[in-house]
Amino acid sequence: MYLDRVEDVAFVVPVFNEQQVIGGVIKDVLVHCPHVVCVNDGSTDGSAAEIVAAGGYLVDHPINMGQGAALQTGIEFARLIPGVRRYVTFDADGQHRTEDAVRMLHILDESGVDVVLGSRFLGRNAQMSRVKKVVLKLAVRFTNATSGIKLTDAHNGLRVFNQHVADTIDITAPDMTHASEIIELISRNRYRYLEVPVTIDYTEYSVAKGQPVLNAVNIAVDTLLRRVSR
Amino acid sequence: MILVQVIMIAVVVVVGVLGLRSHGAHSVNAWKKMLFSLLMVSVIVAVLSPGLINKMAQGVGVGRGTDLVLYTVSLAFGFYVVNQYLRAQESRAQLNRLARRIAIVEAVEKYGLDGSSPHVPGGAAAQPRREPDRGTDSA
Repeated sequence: MYLDRVEDVAFVVPVFNEQQVIGGVIKDVLVHCPHVVCVNDGSTDGSAAEIVAAGGYLVDHPINMGQGAALQTGIEFARLIPGVRRYVTFDADGQHRTEDAVRMLHILDESGVDVVLGSRFLGRNAQMSRVKKVVLKLAVRFTNATSGIKLTDAHNGLRVFNQHVADTIDITAPDMTHASEIIELISRNRYRYLEVPVTIDYTEYSVAKGQPVLNAVNIAVDTLLRRVSR
Repeated sequence: MILVQVIMIAVVVVVGVLGLRSHGAHSVNAWKKMLFSLLMVSVIVAVLSPGLINKMAQGVGVGRGTDLVLYTVSLAFGFYVVNQYLRAQESRAQLNRLARRIAIVEAVEKYGLDGSSPHVPGGAAAQPRREPDRGTDSA
């Protein structure tokens, strides 16, 4: 099901040193969608060449600016591709499934919301370590409390949104804090949102590349600082 | 005047002149300049009459003049750190915007998109453009 092609969609993929896997991820997406915007965030490996070889759009940050900044760049570039009116943010490490994204695109259209967010905790799957599970749940509580939005998974990189969001979103948190910032933006800009279950494939590679659990402390402090300074 | 006083005052004068001079397009705000001048003047006063600082310290209830100076310096340092942090954030944000512009302009040119119009609604085939290479040839 849902294996049709989507022509009016751009996948936005922040890339930082992912030369081993990025090619495969791009090729998977290209089966469904012709526009894969890869923002190479100052990779020091062969990621850029892999992106070009696999057939993605290569948008090259001259310096490393962080994943949040890369997402914003990717969204702004994707808006310039003629015919694109729906957007997907997608991780470069192969932990997301294109089928999930395509299913979310259908949900976006059918429900009429602005944003559809992927969740690891709605429904099944979630084969992750107990510590990671606890920290992610705490992150959800924290983000819900600071943003006033009810979600089950605050740090999922798979999101689908419409033109209105692409035109108005402005991610300023450069680093991993952007996930919390996006939730805050959903709240502040009053985007209508939905959360749907998605499958995360925790491969050995994605686990090794994933952020350490301790990073939660950084994210919490940054989020609080942002609220204080605003 | 003892040697220490001469050296201290000379340093304060040099630092003061450097600090208050206008640096190109960078306009330091007037309040900061006044605060800075006040600080420089108090340093000179403190250097010339250590007894005065002691009296002031007793006046506000902190015993010795050195303690008062230490507290003031700590406060000033805290202020400096916060100020520098905010500045670093601001220039980081500016740098990011600049780098993003460069990245997008480059990519727009490479893929033949028209970056001047912020968004092209509807028309998929509105204008000719080069799609990314699908990994056909090129070494």
